[in-house]
Amino acid sequence: MADKDVDMKPLKLDTDVANKDKESKDAAPKKLTPAQEIKANVALIERGVGSMEPRFAHRALRNLTALRKSLTAEAIAQAIDENLVKDGPAAKALKPHLNVSSSMDVDTSTASTQTADLPETEMYLRLLLIHHLLSTPTEQSRKAALTLAKESAAKIQSLNRRTMDPIGAKIWWAYGRAYEVVDPEHLASLRPELLAAQRTAALRRDDDTQAVLINLLLRNYLHYNLFSQADKFVSKTNFPQSAANPQLARNHFYLGRIKAVQLSYTQAHTQFQQAIRRAPPATTAPGFYQAVHKFFIVVELLMGEIPERQMFRHVVLEKPLKPYADIVRAVRAGSLSQFQTTLQTHAAQFTSDCTLTLLSRLRQNVIKTGLRKLSLAYSRISLRDICLKLHLESEEDAEYVVGKAIRDGVIDASIVHERGWMVQKGYEIEGTSNGEGLGVVGQASKAAFNLGGKSRPQGEALVRAEVHTGLMRGYGPEVVDVFGRRIAFCLQLHNESVRAMRYPLNAHRKELVSVQAALEREKELSREVMRGEHDDDDDALGDL
Amino acid sequence: MVHSAVKQIHGKLQRAFASSSKDTTPLLAQAKLDLIQAGLLVPVGEHREQDLSYARDILEIGAFWSIRVRDVPAFDRYFSQLQTFYTDYQGVLPPSPRQYPLQGLNLIRLLTQNRISDFHTVLESLPPETLQENPFIRHPVNLERWLMEGSYSKVWNAREEAPAAEYRFFVDSLMGTIRNEIASCEEAAYNSLPMADAQTLLFFNNQQDLMQFTQQRGWQPDLIRKVFTFPTKADDKAAEIPSRKIIAQALTCAKELEQIV
Repeated sequence: MADKDVDMKPLKLDTDVANKDKESKDAAPKKLTPAQEIKANVALIERGVGSMEPRFAHRALRNLTALRKSLTAEAIAQAIDENLVKDGPAAKALKPHLNVSSSMDVDTSTASTQTADLPETEMYLRLLLIHHLLSTPTEQSRKAALTLAKESAAKIQSLNRRTMDPIGAKIWWAYGRAYEVVDPEHLASLRPELLAAQRTAALRRDDDTQAVLINLLLRNYLHYNLFSQADKFVSKTNFPQSAANPQLARNHFYLGRIKAVQLSYTQAHTQFQQAIRRAPPATTAPGFYQAVHKFFIVVELLMGEIPERQMFRHVVLEKPLKPYADIVRAVRAGSLSQFQTTLQTHAAQFTSDCTLTLLSRLRQNVIKTGLRKLSLAYSRISLRDICLKLHLESEEDAEYVVGKAIRDGVIDASIVHERGWMVQKGYEIEGTSNGEGLGVVGQASKAAFNLGGKSRPQGEALVRAEVHTGLMRGYGPEVVDVFGRRIAFCLQLHNESVRAMRYPLNAHRKELVSVQAALEREKELSREVMRGEHDDDDDALGDL
Repeated sequence: MVHSAVKQIHGKLQRAFASSSKDTTPLLAQAKLDLIQAGLLVPVGEHREQDLSYARDILEIGAFWSIRVRDVPAFDRYFSQLQTFYTDYQGVLPPSPRQYPLQGLNLIRLLTQNRISDFHTVLESLPPETLQENPFIRHPVNLERWLMEGSYSKVWNAREEAPAAEYRFFVDSLMGTIRNEIASCEEAAYNSLPMADAQTLLFFNNQQDLMQFTQQRGWQPDLIRKVFTFPTKADDKAAEIPSRKIIAQALTCAKELEQIV
């Protein structure tokens, strides 16, 4: 299953502990135990709930990946004891999942003194517990994780709290993951539930959850190769642009796959490029990085381009991309037989990567590359030789293939049917019956043909002619387009950064005070200066 | 009981279809009405497996029949209704023997309508091994490949190898598309073309058809040299100035700048 490959770790966490310590008030030593880290995060979450600021919750979730790896049953048990009301309903619901003897000594001073649990805190601990259960390999604990995740998701929906959104999104993600691990055969049955949740999230303008759910659904559709349904789903939903980077990267990846199947290679190419840019560094999430690159290379080939060689030397990519490097080599050489054998030897690999059907579309590209090479190398070549060199089945086929290539503008040539050969443009012989020698015309270079062949529009308005020549020099409408896109991008960036600025409540008062003080100072200064000037004058007079 | 009505009409329909009698069309209409009454046309909720397979059979017959009476939009409708049975009830119903022939037909239909991107989307949703092994699917897949690389003669020869009688209908209309493709290639690739060769290249059996076809495309026959010459196309279109676009761009720029300053 491709799931393992595409599994991406959420974020390149910042393990900058010192930075976090500044935020959480207690100045703890450099290395925190998992339980302490959880406590610090819970403090952040509580602060976020108090000030209605989602960014605190985001910060608390940022080190989830690192935390997930160091989690132990004991640490979670301790965290539950410390952060939840003792024997409260929340703690009671979670405890049975941990088979830790309850005789743990809990320092009563650190135990929670609150009378009721914050639902956000409870959910955060639930999330940790789900991840912990998923990482234990026994079937039983995974099933427990699934039920717990299902329960938590339902609870989040019934609570309907905006401060819960970031944590809720993570819980949904964990739910999807748990489902895949426990019950990979019946993924389709998860779809109605996800769709309903997506609708709710959209109505509540819950961007985080929506982003996660859209990606889960797309993944679900693509798992069953339901590309048309996925495409319809995409056209009916708006992926929130404020979503976190990993979700954006995934979304770009899924969209790219849909577009590639629909033959919109240019769009697919942009999507994959975005996915690569948004993805976490290659060493953090190698699976995702490799999967995107595989599709990226195939799409680039389908567009008729040859991927950069450097890509195949990348530390993370070199080995898994080996079959693709072979394909690239075959396409570059334009050898149909080499292409076919490569495709057959690595068929199993390509099937598991879901790229086989895309790759088999490359056949025509291989033929075209081969033809192009021939047309560059020979000014005249018989169809029979073309047929032999490209391993086509019959001369008749070759004639049609060449004809199509000429019409599609792949090669600049013509066919002389009576003689059965292909002639490079510019090398035609006047009067086809005269087969002897090359015309002198033939010496004209191809470039000259391209420019000279196009006659200037006659009797046109001056401006039009200018545009026409401008096109050739590279000042045409295309250039306007490119500049337009760049300007739009810069403006968008500006607007986004303006919107991203935060204005804490009442912070402007402080500023007002300081502004007032500054004004005051300025006045003082100018007064001083005035006085000083007078002094100077006096001095000057005095000197005299 | 409604379900017995479905069963009854299913039996009648099958007999009519097997003998391809004219009654099939009115029977189909009646069958669809019965299906709607039983809530089976677009199945909602729980149904017995037997009823579902009756519904599927009726729709399949409808799809085949619409091809026989050359009603492509009707085929389209039947096929999209069948999709529910093929994908959503995959686990409930035993696979239908007519599924792959119908899917192959659908692929060919997409091909003749030049909906290549839809063609590939459908292809992607089929299990990969069927593309090579299943004769009904392999046929359209090969056709597409040959069309794309330009091996038109193979397409022409494959005309006889159609795995089901219904494929013929589409194959004929495919030939029309191919001829036009070939003709447009020839216009670009040749300076002049002998008439006899044009006839073989375009797969015409007699000269009359050829003349009619070439007349439509505006080829000029030179009866003395027995060659065709092609009308030279004015491919040098004067470049247009996209004035509207430029104005719109300038205006948005001005607006944004205004906001910044």
